[in-house]
Amino acid sequence: MMIVIAIIIGCVVGALIGLNIPTIPYTYSSYLAIAIIAALDSVFGAITSILNGKFDLKIFLSGFFVNAILAIALTYLGQKLNVDIYLAAVVVFVGRMFNNLGTIRRYYVEKISNKKIFAKAEQIIKKAKKEEKQ
Amino acid sequence: MKKEKNVVIISIMLVCIILTAVILVQFKAVEETDITGIKTAQESELKTMLSSWKTKYEETAEKLAETEQKIQEYEDKMLSDEEAEELLDEELMQTNMLAGKTDVSGQGIIVTLADNNEKEIVSDDLIRLVNELRLAGAEAISINDKRVLNTTEIVDVNSNILVNTERVATPYVVKAIGNQTYLSSALSLKNSGFIDICTNEGKTVEMKQESNVKILAYNGDRQMKYAKEAEEE
Repeated sequence: MMIVIAIIIGCVVGALIGLNIPTIPYTYSSYLAIAIIAALDSVFGAITSILNGKFDLKIFLSGFFVNAILAIALTYLGQKLNVDIYLAAVVVFVGRMFNNLGTIRRYYVEKISNKKIFAKAEQIIKKAKKEEKQ
Repeated sequence: MKKEKNVVIISIMLVCIILTAVILVQFKAVEETDITGIKTAQESELKTMLSSWKTKYEETAEKLAETEQKIQEYEDKMLSDEEAEELLDEELMQTNMLAGKTDVSGQGIIVTLADNNEKEIVSDDLIRLVNELRLAGAEAISINDKRVLNTTEIVDVNSNILVNTERVATPYVVKAIGNQTYLSSALSLKNSGFIDICTNEGKTVEMKQESNVKILAYNGDRQMKYAKEAEEE
């Protein structure tokens, strides 16, 4: 519960800060875009690991920042080499994001269908118990 | 246990703050790109623009050079025109002076002939004088301020002397512009010179050298009625 509140507060504060910060020149916005995608990938990765029960704060935070910085560095290098490395970064990160989203989806779908199965099973058991009593 | 949970919450909040802020900044940057155009344009776009501007600049520079060359040509032409004009002006001036259309001045001599009790001056004397002066290289001659030209007549009519169809009377002041020494020495040759001859005939002649003789322009009208420019064959 506390975590949900923390996320909401964080989003609101972040939005306020983001709206009041002066805009960056367009030249650097490609770097920023890559950093954002890397960060989002880390977030989805974190959600997946929470669902799997393997969440580690250190791994999440280090992934969040280091991935973003590395993505920026690679993009910069690519521009120096005249190779669009950021495309590769986008492909990798977005691919992983889809994988994670798929995992999350499957988790909830399974959960819901499991609930239904359990409910049915309980009904069957109840019926069986009633029949036994009679 | 609780402390750890707090750390997790705070770090997740931090992550949220950073992520939202950065995303919004990016949104704003992308949105504003269309408005601010050049200021935020991507490097490649700028390069393209730069190269196109460079091409334009080169073209314009070429045009400029061409135009400047044209201007130079025109100026040259103008200069040569001016030169021609100057030459023409000079020629015109010379011709005018020769034709006696302008007042002229310069070094020369003034010869004064006067009637005395014994002898009168006649047109022959003046004609001789004019002839001698011309021989000595006089450039302009006048008798009593009547300009002597190539068409000028000096004649006796009823004991009056006419110059340029106008009457002149004694004393006759003949002015001539030319080399002073030539003129005076030509006139004052012993025995055969004009002055000597006249003096021997008993006529009154005086000659003065002057450094600045002024001779007036011919004030009449001269036009060729019969003479035409000969056609070249």
